[in-house]
Amino acid sequence: MHRPVYLDHAATTPVDPRVAARMAQCLAADGEFGNPGSSSHDYGDAARVVVEEARAQVAAAVGAMACEVVWTSGATEANNLAIFGVAHYYRDYGRHIVTARTEHSAVLDPCRELERRGWRVTYLTPDRGGIIDPAQVAGALQADTVLVSIMHVNNEIGVIQDIAAMAAICARHPHTRLHVDAAQSVGKCGVDFSRLGVDLMTLSAHKVYGPKGVGALLVSRRGVQLSALQFGGGQERTLRAGTVATHQVAGMGTAFALAAALPQSEGERVASLRERLWQGLAALGGVLRNGDVDRSVPQLLNVSFEDVEGESLLAAVRPHLAVSTGSACTSASQEPSYVLRALGRSERLCESSLRFGLGRGTCERDIDTAVAVLGHAVSHLRRVGGA
Amino acid sequence: MNYSALTRRYFDAAVNAGVLTGADIFRGAAGSRAQGTWVQFDVQVNSGIIRAARFLAFACPHTIAVSAWTAENAVGGPARAALPESVQALSERFAVPAPKLGRLLIVEDAWLATMQAAAAAIAGQHGTL
Repeated sequence: MHRPVYLDHAATTPVDPRVAARMAQCLAADGEFGNPGSSSHDYGDAARVVVEEARAQVAAAVGAMACEVVWTSGATEANNLAIFGVAHYYRDYGRHIVTARTEHSAVLDPCRELERRGWRVTYLTPDRGGIIDPAQVAGALQADTVLVSIMHVNNEIGVIQDIAAMAAICARHPHTRLHVDAAQSVGKCGVDFSRLGVDLMTLSAHKVYGPKGVGALLVSRRGVQLSALQFGGGQERTLRAGTVATHQVAGMGTAFALAAALPQSEGERVASLRERLWQGLAALGGVLRNGDVDRSVPQLLNVSFEDVEGESLLAAVRPHLAVSTGSACTSASQEPSYVLRALGRSERLCESSLRFGLGRGTCERDIDTAVAVLGHAVSHLRRVGGA
Repeated sequence: MNYSALTRRYFDAAVNAGVLTGADIFRGAAGSRAQGTWVQFDVQVNSGIIRAARFLAFACPHTIAVSAWTAENAVGGPARAALPESVQALSERFAVPAPKLGRLLIVEDAWLATMQAAAAAIAGQHGTL
């Protein structure tokens, strides 16, 4: 069966076969299927060993300590735990939060909910390249700011924020915690939780060739406190009640270990493919690149096509290419990307923008197919549209 | 979004996309590129009969497909102020989702503008293009 070329790795990635094999070991009767919370028999002990090995693997991949890893059901839950957890725990210190207009909806929606509950939120606007100047963070901090939440790598345009500089600014405010959504970072650019100096960091497995349904929140041991959001078992240092899914976290641990072991040449290979893709698309004319190219991960390319209607563009390429118009979490709404709008793009250009997510399996032939398909589609639609 | 096979076929082929030149050509348009949907028809009318039709559309696949079908099926028929099929019938034929029915009204407006241009010219009030 013909399958479209998959260029949506920023939405999700296929599970690495080695990850799937590790997960399977934790499901069968002869594997580590026990409840890791059971301390009265060997089955529970074996599962607990797997969980702690995975915790160590994730921690090692991102420069954290194993005890700083809190398992969650994914990045959305981790973001919710960080934002609501800090807001509630530190509510007597203040009720002001700083974030950016280009954050993922899993950060923006909790912030909006807190606004409804009486918190104040400052939304920073990036420059036209998608970058938040750390000075903007400094300027937004108030005496009662308890949380700054800024993503590391943007999920739509791939730009990398200067988190270390923001952490240094927040460190001067004793009651301000810095949360970083790094769901798109692992395997794409270096992540060192300890050296960055942030308080909380969100991680996801399925963006890194791991399974869906599992993620983690890194909680720094440097005095960061959180209020739990769910209760009923005391797991994960009482921060996240519920039986830990052994096979899921084993998969995430393996996926992170594999990502950490990737040679530098893989990044260079993908960067070369992205440049090949951009050069091919740019040759069509009327194609604009979104995001600061000098500060972005090589796996992402976001472009706007002039004189092409957005839905028709996506429909024209769909039989041949799997790409998206933006975040997979919001593209279903068919609203123009709020990220691109924050960068100053017009509504029409936002609608005719595509996000290409390159991955480990992407090859030159895929890129050349994408360029050819888009060349035909754009030419066809411009002709039909009288451009 | 998923599209019916008919929508897909007319959207992909768009065989009558373009413009007409020469004598007895009339043009009408509706919508706006800035608003995301714009449609234009050119027809050649002789002795009250549509001899040729072309369309241009900056629009979604449904709108392009309906415009293409209209241009194809209008040929040979009378130059009258109505689409070859009603908007309701077209929406069913192409399985157009209800929220997008307004876009078919833009197709209809473009067609009506074209027929009005033809009628006005034939009545001697205006020249052809």
